[in-house]
Amino acid sequence: MRSALRAAGMALIIGYCIAPFLWQVITSLKPAAELVSLPPLIPTRLTAEHYAAIFAGHPFLRIIGNSALVAACTTLLALGLGAPAAFALSMLQVRGRAVILAGVLAISMFPPVATVSPLFLALNALGLHDTLFALVITYTTFSLPLAVWLLANFFAALPRELYAAARVDGCTACGALARVVLPLAAPGLLAAGLLTFIFAWNELLFALTFTATEAARTIPVGIALFPGLHEVPYGEIAAAAVTVTLPVVVLATVFQRRIVEGLTAGAVKG
Amino acid sequence: MKLERELDRPLWYLLPGGLLLAAVTLFPLGYVLWLSLQRHSPLHGPPRFIGLDNYLRLAADERFWNALWNTVYFAAVSVALELVLGLVIALMIERTSRGRALFYGVILLPWAVPTAVSARMWEWMYDAQIGVLNYLAGVHVNWLGSPGWALNAAIAMDVWKSTPFVALLLLAGLQSIPRDVYRAAAVDGASGWTVLARITLPLLAPVMLVALVFRTIDAFRVFDSIYVLTGGGPADSTETLSIYAYKVLFQGLEFGYGSALAVSVFVCVALAALCYAQLMRKALR
Amino acid sequence: MSRWAPALLLACAAVLLPACDADGPTPGSTVVVFKHGKLFGDAAPLRALLDEFERLHPGIMVRDETLPAGSDEQHQFYAINLQANSPAFDVLAVDVIWVAEFAHAGWLHELALELPPQERSAFFPGPIEAVTHQGRVYAVPWFVDAGLLYYRKDLLEKHAFPVPRTWDELARTAQAVMAREPGIAGFVWQGKQYEGLVCNALEYMWSNGGEVLSAGRVVLDTPRNREALAFMADLVHRYRVTPASVTSATEEPSRHVFGQGRALFLRNWPYAWRLFQDPRSRVYGKVGVTLLPHFEGGASAATLGGWQLAVNRHSRYPEAGRKLVRYLASVPAQKRLALAYGFQPARVALYRDPELLAAQPFLATLERVFAAARPRPVTPYYVRVSQVLQSELSAIVAGLKTPEAALAAAARKLREILADEA
Repeated sequence: MRSALRAAGMALIIGYCIAPFLWQVITSLKPAAELVSLPPLIPTRLTAEHYAAIFAGHPFLRIIGNSALVAACTTLLALGLGAPAAFALSMLQVRGRAVILAGVLAISMFPPVATVSPLFLALNALGLHDTLFALVITYTTFSLPLAVWLLANFFAALPRELYAAARVDGCTACGALARVVLPLAAPGLLAAGLLTFIFAWNELLFALTFTATEAARTIPVGIALFPGLHEVPYGEIAAAAVTVTLPVVVLATVFQRRIVEGLTAGAVKG
Repeated sequence: MKLERELDRPLWYLLPGGLLLAAVTLFPLGYVLWLSLQRHSPLHGPPRFIGLDNYLRLAADERFWNALWNTVYFAAVSVALELVLGLVIALMIERTSRGRALFYGVILLPWAVPTAVSARMWEWMYDAQIGVLNYLAGVHVNWLGSPGWALNAAIAMDVWKSTPFVALLLLAGLQSIPRDVYRAAAVDGASGWTVLARITLPLLAPVMLVALVFRTIDAFRVFDSIYVLTGGGPADSTETLSIYAYKVLFQGLEFGYGSALAVSVFVCVALAALCYAQLMRKALR
Repeated sequence: MSRWAPALLLACAAVLLPACDADGPTPGSTVVVFKHGKLFGDAAPLRALLDEFERLHPGIMVRDETLPAGSDEQHQFYAINLQANSPAFDVLAVDVIWVAEFAHAGWLHELALELPPQERSAFFPGPIEAVTHQGRVYAVPWFVDAGLLYYRKDLLEKHAFPVPRTWDELARTAQAVMAREPGIAGFVWQGKQYEGLVCNALEYMWSNGGEVLSAGRVVLDTPRNREALAFMADLVHRYRVTPASVTSATEEPSRHVFGQGRALFLRNWPYAWRLFQDPRSRVYGKVGVTLLPHFEGGASAATLGGWQLAVNRHSRYPEAGRKLVRYLASVPAQKRLALAYGFQPARVALYRDPELLAAQPFLATLERVFAAARPRPVTPYYVRVSQVLQSELSAIVAGLKTPEAALAAAARKLREILADEA
């Protein structure tokens, strides 16, 4: 009985998460003439014309490549800068720890609509107009608060003695961090990394403002360029949504599996 | 502890991240604060320092209070729902043995779709004439066009989109709880609900705080999704602080007043974060 | 940690590469950047036109960069860039409602030479009025847009009704047909709280002889305007020929409802015609188009839309920019773009051009509409004015405020905005 309830609950939750996305998938396969008509809910014939259109009419492959590069760099940098900082804040004695954490948080409290203008000025002054680098720098900065807070949380839950023991055993600080602390905080790392990746993958305002040409165009800007003067090509937008979301989901699944395997293999000790 | 202080310099760990943060944010944030003290618009001639006049104007601006109310309502309802749903989802994933990774990936879908796209998608789903929601339910509700429904429709969309964020964080928290704790509780004969209330939730509290704070920050700053869905309408009933700030800044070209609005968002969020911290402290005692 | 370092460095290097300008301009040539919202369709015809310009002006290269088609996104982009005195683009396509604003902000070059007084009559009067600020011209009209009434001629014939000329006729016709045809909405238009709502509302107000601004003074709160907007509200609440969901309708949703055959009348821009004339469309062959109705004693009025070409005040190459503007606004260039993209040129003569008319017979109908199209109030503060109007008009359409209350509130706020600047 319990497992039937649980299965039903799972099905409901999966349905809730998937249903709108499923609607996107259906829309992306509907022929243009039937795009807006209801009935039929399911198209009478399926077509790949929208998928073909997004790659033919726009340099979408390059756009996806740009986004992948920016998101990957951002994630690596955010974790690379955030993990040590979180580590210091949670496991080492730092005076003014609360102030630092609050300050880091304060950065994420301003609405981007206000900060985009001065940032644009600054990046222009540095000659970073229309580069992916500008995006990486910006995204990393705005991802750091979440990464630091999250990781500080997970590190703080680990026993202090573990770290001290590793140091006594002769590890360098960096080594201890990498080999002992990080693996134990793997779930937190995955969460922080994934959320940062998704943020960089989907961010629109800064990307729109700081870039101008296809060289530095990312996915959200690319999709924003689909609609024409008055027309909105729902089919293409749906196809693009499906195309760019699935890699993220696959990524998440793969990494989660590795985490789970790591956990069940006994990496997390009591 | 003494060992650590001798062997490690916290500064080295904090410096790289700290430098980046300082380099990128000090100027924009300072500039926003500075702008908020000015009358600064290309339509009004050269900028003029006016002290706190923008804030006084804010206090008397009924559109500001309307936006504030909309934002608070939006944040309160959506964050509460996201927290509850996120917890339920995280617990379910945690208890699943088979297909957990796939479940995890699927749950992530709403958060992984770009906001601009999912907002358009929901706008279309909500359409009273040709939208799929009304079609399936067989009704003719004016979701986005009636002042009573519009904000709640926007909340529903945000909850759909953001619950995975909370679920992700809470799941990571759950996965970090050592198994021993549960084994001990089982030995003591504790029931499922007791374990949840007395053991799991308190251990999850710190992560829940992080989720709560960040979701509140994002909810207070919400812009893209609502702007696409309703543009702040009908009759300003879904105009949030960020949308108002956007309109003032980039349509009205009033950079001074718009910056003051942005600072007001900051103040609200900071107050909310302080409240949460206090609540957590009391709850954990 | 050390394992990641080389990967990190490599990644950063890869990311920095695009920062280097791969295809620099050939030495000695100026690169003029043309910034514009996305034109529908293929980018190739525009590029071919720009290549032609490059051939005619050796030493000048044109790079065209697209912005999202949405007016709001473009305005935001220009606000950020022009406020920062950015020289990153030279020629820009400006929405008809921004010219006075950008000119007043000192963001545009004056284009007296590109559009001398004797040439202005070659364009429709509406756009010329919109690009003129304090007696000087700051942009050259490129293409135009105006509101139209679409109708289902098959349904009107079936029920023996003539094409309505006044708003009252439209309302009565719609009610009668709705009673006999289930599932058909009478009249769909755009009532969401956005710029399109102002376009719609102005068409009612103007066709009743009302106005928003007159000689710089706010004349919004008048009996004529109240009457016009009361009718607009009645369409939804009293005659019930417009569904209540108009409060969330923009161009595309309303176009789709009509295009699915579920409405009798539609107010929209000319772009929809091409879509209805597609053989796969459900209303193929059943759609007619005419001027918007008017009130008794008034005249039909259409809100002017469209885009103009301007030169960035901080451009490094204003001369080259002016040449590009002149070229793009010329008769052959406008004709080529009209043929390729179906857009409506701002030059009157092209509406009599046999080749263009053969390819797009619809232009013949449009000439009348565009000749009478009126620009929205031409003031540097138009965008702020529009925001106030959007909010109050939305309240009227949603039935939250009476036209009297809404217009009074709007007039008060408009006076504050305009007095502020005096």
